Amino acid sequence: MSTGAGAKVKGRILVVDDESRIREACRMVLEEMGFDVVLAADGEQGLALIRDRHFDIILVDLMMPVMSGFDVLAAVREHHPDTVVIVITGYATVEHSIEAMKKGAFDFIPKPFTPDQLRSIVTKSIRYTRALQDIADSKSRLRVMVNRLMDGVMTTDGERRIVLANPAFLHMIGWSGDTVVGRLVEEVVADDQLRSMIDEALAMPPDTFTEIVHELSVAAWDSQPERILDVRCAPFRGRTGANLGTITVLHDITASKKMERMKSDFVSMVSHEIRGPMNSLLMQIQVILDGLAGEVTAKQREILERASGKIHNLTNMVSELLDLARIEAGLIANAKESLDIRRLLEEQVAFHRPAAAAAGITLEIEPLPDLPLIQANPQGMDEVFTNLITNAIKYSPPDSRVSLAAGVDAGFLAVTVRDTGYGIPEEDLEEIFASFYRVKDANTRTIHGTGLGLAIVKSIVNAHRGSIRVESKLGQGSAFTVSLPVSGA
Amino acid sequence: MSKNNLILVVDDDTDLVEMMAMKLESKKFRVAKAYDGVEAMARIKEERPALIILDVMMPRKDGYTLCNELKTSEEYKGIVVVLLTAVTDAISSTNYTHMGGKTTLADDYVPKPVDMDKLVEIVQDSL
Repeated sequence: MSTGAGAKVKGRILVVDDESRIREACRMVLEEMGFDVVLAADGEQGLALIRDRHFDIILVDLMMPVMSGFDVLAAVREHHPDTVVIVITGYATVEHSIEAMKKGAFDFIPKPFTPDQLRSIVTKSIRYTRALQDIADSKSRLRVMVNRLMDGVMTTDGERRIVLANPAFLHMIGWSGDTVVGRLVEEVVADDQLRSMIDEALAMPPDTFTEIVHELSVAAWDSQPERILDVRCAPFRGRTGANLGTITVLHDITASKKMERMKSDFVSMVSHEIRGPMNSLLMQIQVILDGLAGEVTAKQREILERASGKIHNLTNMVSELLDLARIEAGLIANAKESLDIRRLLEEQVAFHRPAAAAAGITLEIEPLPDLPLIQANPQGMDEVFTNLITNAIKYSPPDSRVSLAAGVDAGFLAVTVRDTGYGIPEEDLEEIFASFYRVKDANTRTIHGTGLGLAIVKSIVNAHRGSIRVESKLGQGSAFTVSLPVSGA
Repeated sequence: MSKNNLILVVDDDTDLVEMMAMKLESKKFRVAKAYDGVEAMARIKEERPALIILDVMMPRKDGYTLCNELKTSEEYKGIVVVLLTAVTDAISSTNYTHMGGKTTLADDYVPKPVDMDKLVEIVQDSL
């Protein structure tokens, strides 16, 4: 808003007075101060103007025909609380002035007044109204900010009534009722630990400041799985140091907890899979050294003792490495490109054929129809089919057959890796895509693996917005089918 | 030796079972073998061993669970149970050792890697 020449307008003032002499005098003084001034000859006219636009200040004469200044004041207070009202009192009666102030006028100015008096009272008012607006602005800015936070935030007053609770907070504690502002904490927060944290924060003596920190487990509710929250609660204090209330912040750490858990499962799995065989080796050597497998010559003994020492060192090293081990990066590369699945499958089969042949297994591709390109990550797809083919070979006895087939169905490219191997027991079918899950029975207990292969396959396929399913019959074999969306479909 | 000297060795590592069996047989013990907790229970019912050498981490039924079942059963609580543990602090929070740190009802335990002379000693002392 500007009034010619780019001069910045200080604010907008409405002058409501039935005396045109006063109106014009006010206009002269106020425009000179840089205000945008609008005049009204009576209350109704004034209120009509207020409905259309915002005024920072309204100067209103108390004694007017048509509508009194008191009525104008009441209407403004009700509908425009941000507007400052200054009353002009014709008779300078104390009673009128006091009554006007009681009804919400900011100040009064007695007639007749000098330009200086007007300037001074308007300057004071504009400072006040600006300060109010600043507070309102920062309050609203703050509210938007807090409401947008991913963390849950709740503040209470000293009586444990809720002053503010953002949507994230309410979501995290599973609140789905109406507004919580003004309610007592215990009406809204069901968790005992969270409540007692707030009590503890409120009871904290003024000269101490400690943040109370706890980890909280929130049971599953609605469609929400169980979550783990980091909860921080602290008192906030007034100028005198007294506790005015509390602020509680909830941070969802479920994902990082899950990662930790995965890391630890991984470490444990590696530990089991690497240290186990080494322990076996040590015992095998010991049995030979004990002469249980026949006479041992001095030279053989020396060699075996050295081997045993080396393996001991290795097991120690594995233990230490595992203590340090962390899964650093995600397993899936994300960059996708147009991929010719036929070529990929042909390369896969050529790559795995020697290993299959060595195990006495025939590995081949069924005749493929014309296949569309898919958008996929080549390394990811290689990993998927390497895992499926390797598994098929591993879990098949000699003289069996592993075959790959592909086709298009309803916008999805489906690739099936089928074997005629041991098959998967029905009770294991649901679990086989879980990390570290391995099927072990009389046929398969000697087969080595990490139990991560199918979990990796599933996460890669999911990242491609595809799906994987398995059909299996014990003793007859398994078929894993990966479905991936066709480009542009 | 007129008393029961049958020992059941249970571990999902077949090589390990074989080696322990060879060692124990060389000391004139009779040995039965099982490769998971469920199989072990079947052997126990059939063959009534005097002592079980029991691995902790096994498929189908782990050693803790089986040990607990035996020691709380009137019929089998007299069988001596020696746990084989490779459990270290570093992995105590994982699902493999979900009972890690808990008191077990086992009579003794031998850490992995197994010192087989120590194992024989424990077996001899226990019977």
